[in-house]
Amino acid sequence: MKTIIRREFLDHVQSLQFIVLFALSVVLFAASGFVYVRAQAERDVYYRTQMTRAERHPSTMGARLVRRPNALGFMAAGGDQDRPSGYDIQGGEFTPIPVNPRTFKLPAIPALDWSFLIRVLFSLYVILLGYDAVSGEKERGTLRLILANPLGRVKLLVGKYCSIMAAASVPFAAGVLVSLIIVGAFLPGGLAAADLGRVLFVFFLVLAYFSLFAFLSLLFSSLISRSSLVLLALLAVWVCFAVVIPSSSIVIAEKLSAAPSETQSARMFEPMVQKEVWAKIGGVQERVNRGEFRTEDEIHRETDRIFEEGQAKVTEFYANYARAENERGRKAKAMSRISPAALFQYAAEDIAGTGDAGEENFLSQCREYSRAVDGFILRKLGKVVRVSRWSFSTNMEFQGKPIVVHSPQPQNYTGDMSDFPKFEERRPGFGQALKSAFGDLAGLLVWNILLAGLAFSAFLRTDVR
Amino acid sequence: MFKTIVVREILEYLKSARFALGLIITVVLIAASTLINVEDYVLRHQDFLDAKKELQAESRRVNILRGPQVLSILVRGKDKDLGELVRVWVGDVPSELSGTMDVRKPKFPSLARLSAVDFAFLVRVVMSLMVIFLAYGAVAEEKAGGTLKLVLANALPRDKLLLGKLVSGLAVVLGALAVASLLAVIFLMLHPAVSLSGSDILRIAGMMAVSALYLSVFYALGLFVSVKVDRPAVALMVLLQAWVFLVVLYPNLSVTLAERLVPLPSEQTVAAEKAAVEDRFRKDIQEVNEKLGQATSTAEDRLRFNKVWSQNAEEIHKVDSEFSRLQTRQMKSAELISSLSPASLYDQVMNRLARTDIREYELFMEGAVRLWRSYVERLNLRYTDPDAYKKSQLPDFGYASDSTAQTIAAVWPQALVLFLFSLVFFTLAYTGFLKKDLR
Repeated sequence: MKTIIRREFLDHVQSLQFIVLFALSVVLFAASGFVYVRAQAERDVYYRTQMTRAERHPSTMGARLVRRPNALGFMAAGGDQDRPSGYDIQGGEFTPIPVNPRTFKLPAIPALDWSFLIRVLFSLYVILLGYDAVSGEKERGTLRLILANPLGRVKLLVGKYCSIMAAASVPFAAGVLVSLIIVGAFLPGGLAAADLGRVLFVFFLVLAYFSLFAFLSLLFSSLISRSSLVLLALLAVWVCFAVVIPSSSIVIAEKLSAAPSETQSARMFEPMVQKEVWAKIGGVQERVNRGEFRTEDEIHRETDRIFEEGQAKVTEFYANYARAENERGRKAKAMSRISPAALFQYAAEDIAGTGDAGEENFLSQCREYSRAVDGFILRKLGKVVRVSRWSFSTNMEFQGKPIVVHSPQPQNYTGDMSDFPKFEERRPGFGQALKSAFGDLAGLLVWNILLAGLAFSAFLRTDVR
Repeated sequence: MFKTIVVREILEYLKSARFALGLIITVVLIAASTLINVEDYVLRHQDFLDAKKELQAESRRVNILRGPQVLSILVRGKDKDLGELVRVWVGDVPSELSGTMDVRKPKFPSLARLSAVDFAFLVRVVMSLMVIFLAYGAVAEEKAGGTLKLVLANALPRDKLLLGKLVSGLAVVLGALAVASLLAVIFLMLHPAVSLSGSDILRIAGMMAVSALYLSVFYALGLFVSVKVDRPAVALMVLLQAWVFLVVLYPNLSVTLAERLVPLPSEQTVAAEKAAVEDRFRKDIQEVNEKLGQATSTAEDRLRFNKVWSQNAEEIHKVDSEFSRLQTRQMKSAELISSLSPASLYDQVMNRLARTDIREYELFMEGAVRLWRSYVERLNLRYTDPDAYKKSQLPDFGYASDSTAQTIAAVWPQALVLFLFSLVFFTLAYTGFLKKDLR
């Protein structure tokens, strides 16, 4: 058995693809590290200027909460470059700080993180290492010779599996080392010791992902007798896993979703505001004419009330829309989980604290903070004014003289701000990260077990003649 | 003799299991993706029609809507990511598109940057792989099998043999491409909600021609490696490494490189320029806002309000359009750097042909700015000459997209480079083969 692993491993190591892979791995992980360090430095400057601004000028008029750049984004960026860098919070209303669309004219390329290199490049190379493991030996006629020795088929396949894994892991480990050195040396703040645990976990996650492709290669290699066909079939599966399934799942989720699309929601919005707000505010003038109000103050109170009621409806409308979008996102993700590449990516994002789970965690802390700020405003000013995406201002006539009514404005509290709530972003602990990644980890395990079972049973029945 | 070679080779290819497998994979993927993409387009198009009917008719606002391009079914490009709506108001020259709900949050960020699975993707990635599988053994396998010596023992010059292999290989590849594209086009034509104009058909024909050029680059490359490397398995490995580099890695790295080599002015710089403009207008804007906020505001106040706000907007627009110009320059550099990869060239040409690239976006935005100017002009008329205002009408939004001839004039250099790529690879294969040691 040891002999097998050694022989196979040496075979791989001497091969052309191993040398190319090793060189590419070092170069690409280094490039990935440098790109990340530079981008992270920019994000860090942005974060610090925005945060100190918020801390220096606490205000009851609204707060800007900026998300701390994730130090582990080099493993799995999780689309964080497209997510809002934070939220503007005013009276319980959340407005995402628009993502920097500066480079939208460039072709959209995935972030050059570990997850991309593993998903696309390394899974391909595991295939290249393993595709002719059985079929190649059959073609050359050496399979019969090996099995003529006192060596079980199971042992032979285990040996082949181990050698593929070893040959894939060596360049990967070298790349990881290079990446960690660069990130550790050049990143402002560097890597915390606690983060290394997560890095180690992702390392093993990657091995689990490699293993799945190793089993897949062995399975196809045992089933199909011509090596070139095995490779072609494996490449087709690879394309489907890495791109076709995850990318199509978005379109399919949008099609299957019962919730109204963005434009359909937008069409419902205008009539709703018309009915709930403008019509009612317009009605106030008639009520003024009928003499329902005695003072100007009463009119203002009434329009404020109408506006706030309408406002609540608008907020709910947007919340419903956000829920529908989240639902579509969840559906797309659920569908993409057919592909182990997606399972791997989501698990890596959860462990790194990026991706959807990371954003959701930040948002829930924003909500908590916003409640605290509302409490402060309520204590100091007695009333929380919700500020919306829109406001109004209109002229009316009261007792023969023109007056202006407009939407309520939040008040600026000028007194003591020392007990104004402070925002401390907390990152979810490792246990919580593991919990959110659990499903995806289990999925990868199931794929591994399934493919291992299939590969072994296929190889045991292979006709070696 | 030449004919015999071509016929023999074609039959060999057609009988081979890898051709059958490759064709099945391609056809299934193209059929599935086109079906999905047609449905997606129909959904977006219906949304666009509904929105145009209602959102554009809103009484208090003028909205411009951007609809989906019909050819985005085959080449999605940027069509789905650019936003659909411009809200027109006096204080802001249109400089960006937003979604109809104005929620400035991207959808599906985890998955968003994967390339769309459409016809262009399948040709670029899947069919190019298939071509490599057909080409890698063309010479290497005959050499390994020992038949090369035998073939050339006949009264057959070497160049004729290689030419025969090229012609037959291309015939098979282009035949497969024709089958695949026919399938996609049939889905497009048969769907009742999709209507193609004459120029769309021309553009589709252009896409097929470029796809053929692109695939022949990979066939010529395959032939070259097959001539140079004697062991078929090694030839395949070399080709796959080259493929990964050309199709997956280099296009990605070149964008990153362009971002570094042609940097954009920082966000602070742009913000400072805008702040300088706003400082100049601040006093005026405060004044007109206050006047308008009073219950006693007059038509003159409103006119002045419009004038001040629109002048401010024009000045801000200058900053915006300078930045936009730099963005375009950066994009052009990225395109230039990535031109070493046939996959990137192919993408550029396909996107332009499908009208799903940034050029189309820029034409659209120019149209939006023109509409904004006539909107402001008309708005001013309301307070200077109310009668003329009532008679006048805001022109319909429109912009002149490039004609097919203009597009072809714009993409021929890239197509030529693609052709040169295949010519170079074939020449290399040719000279290599003439000198090849047959033993």
